[in-house]
Amino acid sequence: MADDRARQATGPPGLRYLDAGQVKVFRNEDGSLCATIADELTVLSPRFLRACPLTDPDRCISIRGPEPNGKEFGLLRNWHRLDPKSRRLVEAELDRRYLHPTVKAIVSLKDYSGVQVCVFDTDRGPREVTLRDTRDNVIYLGPARVLITDAEGNRYDIPNLHALDRKSRSLLALIL
Amino acid sequence: MAAQDQLPPPVREALERLYPGAEVHVAARTDLSADGSFGERWLLLAGDRVLVCAPDGAAAQVQADLPLADISEVEVENLVGGAMLRAVVSGRKVDVISFTNALGARFGRVRAQLDAVAKGKPLPHPEDKLNYCPKCGLILGEATRVCPRCVRKGAVLRRLLAYAIPYRRRLMLTATLMLIGTAFGLAPPYVTKQLVDRVLVPRANVHLLGWLVLALAVASVLGTAVTVWRNRVTAYLGGRISFDIRAALYERLQWLSMRYYDRHPAGTLISRLTQDSGGVQDFLAFGLPFLVTNLLTIVGVTIMILAINWKLALLALIPAPLVSLVTRTLWHKMHRAFHAFWYRWGRFHTLVNDALGRVKVIKAFSQQPTEITRYQVRNTDLLSASVYAEQTWGTVFPIIGLLIGSGSLLVWYFGGRAVVHHNATVGDLVAFLGYLGMVYGPLNFLANAAQWMSRALTAAERVFEVLDAEQESEKAKGEIVPERIRGEVEFRDVTFGYEKHQPVVKGISFRAEPGHMLGLVGKSGVGKTTIINLLCRFYDADEGEVLVDGVNLRDLSLWAYRGRLGAVLQEPFLFSGTIAENIAYGKPHATIEEIMAAAKTANAHDFIVAKPDGYDEQVGERGGRLSAGEKQRVCIGRAILHDPAILILDEATANVDLETEEQIQQAIARLVEGRTTFAIAHRLSTLRNADALLVLEDGKVAEFGTHQELEDKKGVYYSLLDLHRKTSTVKAVDG
Repeated sequence: MADDRARQATGPPGLRYLDAGQVKVFRNEDGSLCATIADELTVLSPRFLRACPLTDPDRCISIRGPEPNGKEFGLLRNWHRLDPKSRRLVEAELDRRYLHPTVKAIVSLKDYSGVQVCVFDTDRGPREVTLRDTRDNVIYLGPARVLITDAEGNRYDIPNLHALDRKSRSLLALIL
Repeated sequence: MAAQDQLPPPVREALERLYPGAEVHVAARTDLSADGSFGERWLLLAGDRVLVCAPDGAAAQVQADLPLADISEVEVENLVGGAMLRAVVSGRKVDVISFTNALGARFGRVRAQLDAVAKGKPLPHPEDKLNYCPKCGLILGEATRVCPRCVRKGAVLRRLLAYAIPYRRRLMLTATLMLIGTAFGLAPPYVTKQLVDRVLVPRANVHLLGWLVLALAVASVLGTAVTVWRNRVTAYLGGRISFDIRAALYERLQWLSMRYYDRHPAGTLISRLTQDSGGVQDFLAFGLPFLVTNLLTIVGVTIMILAINWKLALLALIPAPLVSLVTRTLWHKMHRAFHAFWYRWGRFHTLVNDALGRVKVIKAFSQQPTEITRYQVRNTDLLSASVYAEQTWGTVFPIIGLLIGSGSLLVWYFGGRAVVHHNATVGDLVAFLGYLGMVYGPLNFLANAAQWMSRALTAAERVFEVLDAEQESEKAKGEIVPERIRGEVEFRDVTFGYEKHQPVVKGISFRAEPGHMLGLVGKSGVGKTTIINLLCRFYDADEGEVLVDGVNLRDLSLWAYRGRLGAVLQEPFLFSGTIAENIAYGKPHATIEEIMAAAKTANAHDFIVAKPDGYDEQVGERGGRLSAGEKQRVCIGRAILHDPAILILDEATANVDLETEEQIQQAIARLVEGRTTFAIAHRLSTLRNADALLVLEDGKVAEFGTHQELEDKKGVYYSLLDLHRKTSTVKAVDG
């Protein structure tokens, strides 16, 4: 009997997938965020985390409780198909959480004995970036995709090396 | 007042307009706009209000304005790529301002300041630890003051040469040999000139022929002898100096702080010790002497040809700068090609290392084809890079040769005309061609010397960077050497985070009596290991203090303190060597009787003696030939022999069978006797004997008391215990 209870408590692990139609996101009277899931339960101050933020950011969004290791209530698929109000709220939450600048061009790159100071033109505006130990901090996520971590721990994504202009590519060659 | 001065004028004006005369207590600039793009905004604590202002052209936009009285708490929420400073305003969490990771440490301090003020405490002034160059603002590496942009190459070179001072006599000898060698090198073309002008062209003076050829022979034999001598001395010097540097480097590595090791992967440090110091050796033994001799040769040749025929000399040297420039560009191209090749080579190496090191897993999952494909992808990568590099080399090298040859074409033409018009002798022309052959090689070399030297000096600098990094013993000049440590440990309001803005341990206070056993309980990630790290003084508390026998750990001599500290860790680590050596690691001069006594107490003696080589049994790189339980008992023996006053037990009985666990438990029971013990265990049953249990939740002390007290209390510990019982029932049934 104790055995049964224990089994129930741990339970078989299962993922719960949610379709866009099952999830409603809204703000309640005091302005805090809420999510209703399949008309069963409402999560207060939910968090929306991407399951694969780099490789497939929009595929699965984990809806969780507010605490740092909060329980997962479900994995939302096709979040773009949420009703417009919910979608905007989720989009704002994702934008808030994921600072993921994408490099459009490399404006300059100067090497000072293993420390490089570059200016990246990103989708969030230009940014001067200091790189160090590029052997450890530049990683390939695919044949042409590069993720650069700067000396301060910020990351910059280059989704496609071949899409960069010639100058950017030749500057990058110094650190790749 | 200082905070006020930093503000850009629009922000200052906006503030003055809204709250005239308000004093700015805290001002911090963020690097993100409200819409998440890069941009400037300011967070201000002005008077009794918290404001967020964005400079917007000449005006400033106030994006948030919160009365301090409504704020009860300020926290940092970590996001991906950045973080958000949030305030609890009238019971509700409000986003105040976001920032990228670049400003994490800065806003960690701001959070502490705002939080303190919100809770009615006085405004703290946490120290602003510079990690950027005060001169140029470049971000520096962790715990280093060397700015690669500001450091003068000359300074690095001087520092490098300072290592040569103990060998100054050999250094003088090398310099002398270089001068003599160059002089011998310059002789042959001049002798040839005499030979042509005095013997060959006039077809006379045959008696001179023998003497001149003899002179040529003597010059080349002596020149070679001097070169050999010089090479041998410089080889010794270079080797010796880099030996000294490597020795200093390794010693420093042993004493670096844990924070330094957190930030620098072992691989990087290994490459500094091997590759960078190797680079320095190449530079000293080969590069630097080569540079000096080449410079001497160029100077000598220039003097010689100017002396022979200055008009022709000037003509011959015309293409020199051009040749240097072109070769430099070509070399640059080649360098890039080879750089790409070496980078791919490194990745290739990692892959092979990874795959062959995990051969068991690959076979168990039958992923050989996948691995082969992965390998082929990298191998193809390597192929294209190597073909490109070698083809570039194969193209560039002959072209450089052609360019070098171009100078002599000029000499042939203009020199030939001069000979015909009797403005020069045939001997002059021959000597010129000889000298030019000598000078273009070094010129070509010097063209790259800048780049090549910069690489070598950078390697030297990286080595110096480690040498200059903060040593743990320097961090606090803890000089109190206690006669003995009783083992009373107290944490007083300790807050600490590996990242400053993300405290892992939050305001923890507790006390452990000497000789008592304290169990640390809690889910993973609540800060158990962090408490141990602080206790070992791998890190210093950010706030509050850790006291041992009433003395702040910072004031205690680290050496004396660690000497009385022992640990048995979850992952038993054995060094390569014999079992006896491993047990005696903390007490190298222990007698075999002492070692055996310790092993016996650790329940290890019996299995050790049963090994073919007994106490002399070699244990491999990771103690491969011992089982997990055996390794654990060797480690316990090590701790017993070390005889610490304070003992740390970290999950010592994980991953062993029940019988072995019994043996280990017994050994541990003997070990903890009379020592202040801190034990971490997920199996709560192992902590039943603890004098007190410290139950942690989210970096704070949730409960403190004996096993019985906490069980009766039916709080956090009780629920953990309950969960634990359930899971062990499942295990028992399943197993």
